[in-house]
Amino acid sequence: MEITQKELAEFISCFKLHSSYDLSDYSENSLMRRVDKVLSDNSLNFPNLLHKISTDAVFCELVMKQITVNTTELFRDTLLWQELQYKLLPLFETKQKIRIWHAGCSNGLEVYSLAIVLHHMNLLNRCTIVASDINPDMLEQARKGEYSLRLLDEFKAAFDNAMKENPYDSEFKNLSFETYFEVNKKKECIAVTSCIKDKAEFVRIDLVKMDAQFDETFDIILCRNVLIYFSNSLQKRIFEYFYTHMNPEAYLILGMQESMAWFMNSMFEKKGVFYKKCK
Amino acid sequence: MAIKHPYKAIVIGGSAGSFQTVLHILESLPKNFSIPILLTLHRLKHVRSGLAESVSLTSHKPIVEPYDKQAIEPNTVYIAPSNYHLMVDDDYTCSLSTEQPVEFSRPSIDVLFASAAQVYKQQLIAILLSGANKDGAQGMKIVKQCGGTVIIQDPSEAEVSIMPKSVIDIVRPDIIMETEDIITFLKNMVK
Repeated sequence: MEITQKELAEFISCFKLHSSYDLSDYSENSLMRRVDKVLSDNSLNFPNLLHKISTDAVFCELVMKQITVNTTELFRDTLLWQELQYKLLPLFETKQKIRIWHAGCSNGLEVYSLAIVLHHMNLLNRCTIVASDINPDMLEQARKGEYSLRLLDEFKAAFDNAMKENPYDSEFKNLSFETYFEVNKKKECIAVTSCIKDKAEFVRIDLVKMDAQFDETFDIILCRNVLIYFSNSLQKRIFEYFYTHMNPEAYLILGMQESMAWFMNSMFEKKGVFYKKCK
Repeated sequence: MAIKHPYKAIVIGGSAGSFQTVLHILESLPKNFSIPILLTLHRLKHVRSGLAESVSLTSHKPIVEPYDKQAIEPNTVYIAPSNYHLMVDDDYTCSLSTEQPVEFSRPSIDVLFASAAQVYKQQLIAILLSGANKDGAQGMKIVKQCGGTVIIQDPSEAEVSIMPKSVIDIVRPDIIMETEDIITFLKNMVK
């Protein structure tokens, strides 16, 4: 099942009319694939999809959940987490309060990755972390901090790669995985421990609308592999929003294959794998 | 030199047993072979770099792991970054995605081929090499439907024949040939 560009445009305007979501600035290629998936997951043809959207508000919420991509991993990209630990966070060690916003946090695995690094560096107590996502189901899982037991080997490998090796002094750290995760055999899950649980506030934000406005500014904003689903113009709007909500000397962290080169102007400068706010 | 062929892009996919073949094809292409090439090779998730570097060593062309929305330029080879799907957008830019794996693969060859087919239509050549799963076959079907040219490595030459064979099961390839003939075919395009 493959929808046409014309159908995609119809879908976007119908969805905008009958739900609270505006997908017109989503990047077309991915959105088309996602709508194809919505059709097959719900065994609908295109006219039925439009009909259901215009008559069923609950279904609209389901569609939005199926459209958003929730891929995330513990310590996705080892290099980034090492750079964060050995290059970026040491710059904040003297700061009394560190404010962090994780935009597009999915099920929270990277929020907990960050909390582990901060805890290990004795910085977690000084941090306020806000983690946002558009998908309420993901936020609920993130708050719970419970993950499928099937991921255990993957978790342990990612933890070892990111936390035990210091690429800058070849020191091997004797850090225990069990400090941060415990296996709950009864619930068949891996649960985050109290060291890192409840340290972040999980809130629902649609980056398209920026409906939850922040009064505060942040020292670090993470937004990884989220903006790839948006058009250039929406990306630019979000970068500007980030910029105005960052402290001087603040940093933005994107996905490893995301770049700001297309808007690189006086707002940010690239520092290694990070972007620093320009004065 | 006047270019007579109608092609605007080449996509290549491969998995187990295809890496040396890809290297050999890229190093054999002449300098004036300017058509952009997009590659999706299955690779280990946590092996981030190395692939682009080792291909760069043997090829005349710059090899890049593209950033999201990077423009597709002539004379360049683009490799799907580890753990991302690579797609082509209407405005001839690369587009990346972390959507779920397709045929157990991210990057997936189907995803690259299908998106490139819809953008380049009859101006696309798609080449599928050795591999141990079915990723690429559905993509080839779409390449064919959009008027592109479907080439597969001769399964009898491929180290693992499952991947090229899975194309034959669902669509008739335009050309089935061995690596050396693929290279000659590509070289002749710019003669």
